[in-house]
Amino acid sequence: MEILIAQIFNGLSIGSIYVLLVTGFNLLLLVAMIIHFSFPVVVVFSMYISWFVMTLTGSVALGVAGGIASAVVVNVITAPMFQHIMRERGSVDINATMVISMGMGMIITDILSHTFNQGFPIAFPDALTGNDQGALISVGLVSISRGQVLTLIVGIIFVAFLFWLLYKTRAGRAFRAIAEDPNGAKLVGIPLLKTGFQSYALTGILGGVTAVLMAVLLGSASAGLGDQLGHKVLAVSIIAGLGNLTGGLIIGLLLGILEAIIQGYLAGSWSNAIAFIVMLVVILAKPKGVFGSKL
Amino acid sequence: MSLPLYYYLAITAIYILMSWSIYIPYRVGQLHFMTVANMAISSYFAALMAINFAWPFWLVLIVGTLLGALIGFLVSVAIGDAPCFAVVIVGFTFIYLTKTIIENVEAFGGPLGIFSIPKVLQTSSDNRTLLLIVAYALVLLTGFLISRFDHSRLGRAASAIFIDRDLAVSFGVDVKKLGMFLQTWASAVGGMSGVMYAFIMRSISPNHFTFHLIGVCMTMLFVGGYTTLWGALLAAPILWGFPLILPEALQSWNIVIYGVLLIVVLVIKPEGIITRPTVKKIESLLSRNRKKV
Repeated sequence: MEILIAQIFNGLSIGSIYVLLVTGFNLLLLVAMIIHFSFPVVVVFSMYISWFVMTLTGSVALGVAGGIASAVVVNVITAPMFQHIMRERGSVDINATMVISMGMGMIITDILSHTFNQGFPIAFPDALTGNDQGALISVGLVSISRGQVLTLIVGIIFVAFLFWLLYKTRAGRAFRAIAEDPNGAKLVGIPLLKTGFQSYALTGILGGVTAVLMAVLLGSASAGLGDQLGHKVLAVSIIAGLGNLTGGLIIGLLLGILEAIIQGYLAGSWSNAIAFIVMLVVILAKPKGVFGSKL
Repeated sequence: MSLPLYYYLAITAIYILMSWSIYIPYRVGQLHFMTVANMAISSYFAALMAINFAWPFWLVLIVGTLLGALIGFLVSVAIGDAPCFAVVIVGFTFIYLTKTIIENVEAFGGPLGIFSIPKVLQTSSDNRTLLLIVAYALVLLTGFLISRFDHSRLGRAASAIFIDRDLAVSFGVDVKKLGMFLQTWASAVGGMSGVMYAFIMRSISPNHFTFHLIGVCMTMLFVGGYTTLWGALLAAPILWGFPLILPEALQSWNIVIYGVLLIVVLVIKPEGIITRPTVKKIESLLSRNRKKV
């Protein structure tokens, strides 16, 4: 029972990372109208930049700032490329944006596996992860680290902020209007490309914060992490229903908990495989999503 | 024939087949990466049957292809008419699961893979010649079948689904059946490529069948042009060949080069270099010349 409680808490913190990633992915899908499959690869890239700045300067604060800035920069730099495609939406379908995003993922992953740390996985300093200070709470077999608590708290705050932004502000209303009906939004004077561009910047910040949280929670990263996360994020998004923000929140947390529980009882690679089998079964049974697509 | 030339030609044939295996279901707008998993499964099947049970090459080739088709068919029952993204994720999941199983089951050789797959013919040069002939015969056969399909009623139905699925349905096109057919066919091509790959390389490991392979095949298809079968046919030899003649320091960056090419071509020429009008133009030029003769 204690293992179960510990793993559920563990799962909630991993799940909140998935939720952040899926929310960023869905925002880009709804507002910028692209399938940014490699959004998690950009996040892993930010982890690497964050690590690079930390090793270079020795400062955790600069590393965190560098990580967040790099995600925003990558997102904003690549925005014109996607927007160029979206301008020709009549002749180009949304699949093209996914293929371009995959191309971007190929480039970033290959650069990460060639340059930083000579291609070896990177490990973040204890000053960031807080691993040297031991567990924050430890009751019997249940031990909760600072990283887990921080991820969960920041994850909740950030997702709450995003939902507030989307549902309570003017900018959020513009975002949702585009998601609901791009042509209608254009008719009432919402600038599609500009609002789309804002969504790239916003998801850049979201990606950067997620990168820092992942660094704190996982303590390490490898070049292949982005592909694996991209895969999971797309799976969660499809299971929830593409573009369904609330669905993504629920399924993201559920996947985190499922993975953590399986990990508590099974060896590493098999536990991941079981999570994938569960996802596969759900997708095969309901290819259009459990909560319905908002696309 | 020199060994590097043999490998270049043989692997080019595999890449053409694999790019076509992605082209076939993309006719109805589905990115069916499952074929990479089919390739892995059939190549392991081929290796194990040839080593442990001394199955002859031809039998392995036929059964390996059928195995691909069977798996493809079973999966297509669920995702024959699924949205593109669901098909993508099913493909990725199968690749991941196949890789995990191969790496963790001792009988499959673990992360190191399987070595010493027997030759089809005794002498090395005869073996290579035979495999090259078979590989290109399969390329011809698959190309011929795709061409027949593209010019048939079914091909036109597939194009209709690609452009406007709802309209195609209202015209009476059975989206699910056509999707199932194309996915099964693509998986069979994937399985066939897997068997050929195992016999050509004579050693296989799980690292051969990853996202990396998808990236390369996808680049060949989308850079060459995804609207005709000629795109992959012409892009595969060039894209696979040119990193080989680059300076050694640049060769390891081939994926970055592929990624940049993929993005640049899709942004500038979204349908790829060879499009249907290009093919029509070449055909009309050729027929004009023929008339002159």
